[in-house]
Amino acid sequence: MSDAPTIKIALKSFKFFQDHKPLLNGITLDVVANRILGVIGPAGSGKTTFLRSLNRLNDLLLDAHVEGQALLDGQDIYDPACDVVALRKRVGMLFALPVALPMSIYENIVYGPRLSGIRKRERLDQIVEQSLKAAFLWDEVKDRLQMSGLRLSGGQQQRLCLARVLAMEELEVILLDEPCSGLDPISTAKIEEALTVLKQKYTIILVTNNTKQAARVADDTAFFLLGDLIEYGKTEKIFTVPDDQRTNDYVTGRFG
Amino acid sequence: MRISPKFTQALAVLVLGSATLLTVLVLLFVVAFVLIKGLPGVTWDFLSSAPKEMGKEGGILPTLVGTVLLPLLAISIAMPLGVGTAIYLTEYTRETRMTRALRFGTDCLAGIPSIIFGLFGFIFFVVMLKMGWCLLSGALTLSIMVLPTIIRTSEEAIRAVPNAYREVSFSLGATRWETVMKVILPNALPGIVTGMILGVGRSIGETAAVIFTAGSSLRMPMTVFDSVRTMSVHFYILAREGISNEKAYATAAVLIISVLLINLVAYTMMHRFISKRSK
Repeated sequence: MSDAPTIKIALKSFKFFQDHKPLLNGITLDVVANRILGVIGPAGSGKTTFLRSLNRLNDLLLDAHVEGQALLDGQDIYDPACDVVALRKRVGMLFALPVALPMSIYENIVYGPRLSGIRKRERLDQIVEQSLKAAFLWDEVKDRLQMSGLRLSGGQQQRLCLARVLAMEELEVILLDEPCSGLDPISTAKIEEALTVLKQKYTIILVTNNTKQAARVADDTAFFLLGDLIEYGKTEKIFTVPDDQRTNDYVTGRFG
Repeated sequence: MRISPKFTQALAVLVLGSATLLTVLVLLFVVAFVLIKGLPGVTWDFLSSAPKEMGKEGGILPTLVGTVLLPLLAISIAMPLGVGTAIYLTEYTRETRMTRALRFGTDCLAGIPSIIFGLFGFIFFVVMLKMGWCLLSGALTLSIMVLPTIIRTSEEAIRAVPNAYREVSFSLGATRWETVMKVILPNALPGIVTGMILGVGRSIGETAAVIFTAGSSLRMPMTVFDSVRTMSVHFYILAREGISNEKAYATAAVLIISVLLINLVAYTMMHRFISKRSK
């Protein structure tokens, strides 16, 4: 515990523009390895933009550009030399709406590993079992892995998506974009349980509209408002004695 | 006075229902008419022997072969080009004036009368490239003719694949091409097959463009550089030159049945593929 914490991701006055309109106005923040960072803030505060900048999924947007730096293990991910495909294998993402690809549960999970060139059947079987177990879904689907992923319930699909992300061997960071917004409390609890175990191995960033969820699972919390990072610190501090009045108003439910 | 919604609703059902009924009846009438007049002439001998006396006697075997080969070759040329263009337009370019102009162009091409394509094929392939009247000239001409249809239907099908699938695929470290092959094409397949069937249908039924480019030889084609006659052309010549009404209707009956069979096979294959993926 005496070691200085490893900085996994470091943003240095990171700005994001679309159509010359700033969506993130200079974010500076260090994400510590093997911890869960909760990102909270009202709608339109730039939480999702922030998340999608970290695996460069924002590249798909038209007329977008960035300024400043976003470092992953000290390497700028917006450097022209950065291999975006390799980056996305290291930085996995879970979306707000669970999207199972229209293929079997098995094929959904081996999608990433197959892209990385894993062909051996035993190896793939092993990956499927490991990742489904890690996502707390194995017991529910182990007898029907060839069934279409679309036939699972919403909560199961979201855990399938988590398993699909965990199946990537190169994975180091998991980005979650309101992963529980459409889920029932039990599925939500299972996802949260999985996250607290997973942080031993990965660095996790959790965007959530549910401040209570951030309070439950996040080690650190960042509060975004209109594209600015208002406050960032240990979760207990943000939720009990925040420095900024706006943070206080938001976490106590006075606005947002 | 306001007409009661109940009345307008009943009226709508009546009008729309009658329109549907009329459409189906007209279609059934056409098919039944051709089959009743033609089927008696369709015998095994008719299907399996060569025509005699310009088609007045004998069968239609060479035209049957021509009807299979010409659209098959045309579609084999048009599908890769058309689907490739559709993928490029939807996945690899953003919407610009250029793509809009291209799309407008394809839409216009789709509406051009086939005889214009026939004329172009005649001048370009048959005369300029000295290919003569042959299977290949015909197939190339037909492929140009059906290309707009294939591009447009494939484009619509690809566009209809949910964007979320693309995002998931990219976020799992797939390149654009891997996403196209593993996610987009399999999901766009039903629409693409529909486009292909439309293309096959148009090429099978085509006469004007075929006569100009593939000729109308009644000999059995041995290579792609031989002239062929398709059933549509055969029917046209038999009926127009008053050679034999009986043989003309029999040919038409075979043509209708072939088109039905092709659609049936294509749709069955497609459904088998889809159900295999969503078990």
